[in-house]
Amino acid sequence: MTSAAATPSARPGGLSADEIARLLPHRYPFSLLDRVTSVEPGVRAEAIKNVTASDPVLAGHFPGRMLYPGVLLVECVAQLAAVIYGSAAATRSTGELVADVAERVGYLAEIKQAKFLRTVLPGDQVVVRAQAGPRMGDLMSVTGQASVGRDVVMTTRLVVTERDNSE
Amino acid sequence: MVATLEETKTAAKARQVLCGEVKHLLVDRLGLAVDPELIGDDQPLFGRGLELDSIDTLELAMAVEEKFGVMITDDDTESLLSLNRLVDYVAGNR
Repeated sequence: MTSAAATPSARPGGLSADEIARLLPHRYPFSLLDRVTSVEPGVRAEAIKNVTASDPVLAGHFPGRMLYPGVLLVECVAQLAAVIYGSAAATRSTGELVADVAERVGYLAEIKQAKFLRTVLPGDQVVVRAQAGPRMGDLMSVTGQASVGRDVVMTTRLVVTERDNSE
Repeated sequence: MVATLEETKTAAKARQVLCGEVKHLLVDRLGLAVDPELIGDDQPLFGRGLELDSIDTLELAMAVEEKFGVMITDDDTESLLSLNRLVDYVAGNR
């Protein structure tokens, strides 16, 4: 699929991989989200992660028994959390959903809970959801889940940080 | 206005109950390996006290809001310095 636009946009209300790359500093092989399907800046977001046999991590996890690592599903939620606060910062500063705000991305501060309910295999399309919770200082609590089809495959509660060098 | 002995006793009892609730909340929500009954009323929550860290402040604020309906914001974090201060804050704001 090609587009004439310099930065192809996802479906209305969503973000393409190129747009996500303006919000996040993550790059190959650690840019995990393929598309954000909906985002409510500062509040919640939903994204797609396609798991493919050509993903380099599956070469080692595990040879002869490819299995998408559960910790990377948690990382998907953490990256989506950065989309939530990044899109809020972009909206505040430019009025647009996307801006070059990747420097705001902080750290994964805490994994409070994570439960892995089903294995995720090559060919699975994972839908990742994240919801921002209460904030204090630069800390933001996040609840997230990943599902494949109708099955929830992972639930988690995290704390992430947002850097704010500008204020 | 001077409180009667009975009123003072009632207030002291209420505070004791609230202290107990906050101690149990701390231990349950932050997964502390300590008996709630052994936490002192003026014990600091951070550093050498209960050894909470800055990341715990968010969880504690969320727990206090859920249980007591009292919000702790960035401006009120001094209320988290000791158990007594936290109990004062909850008692004064709920």
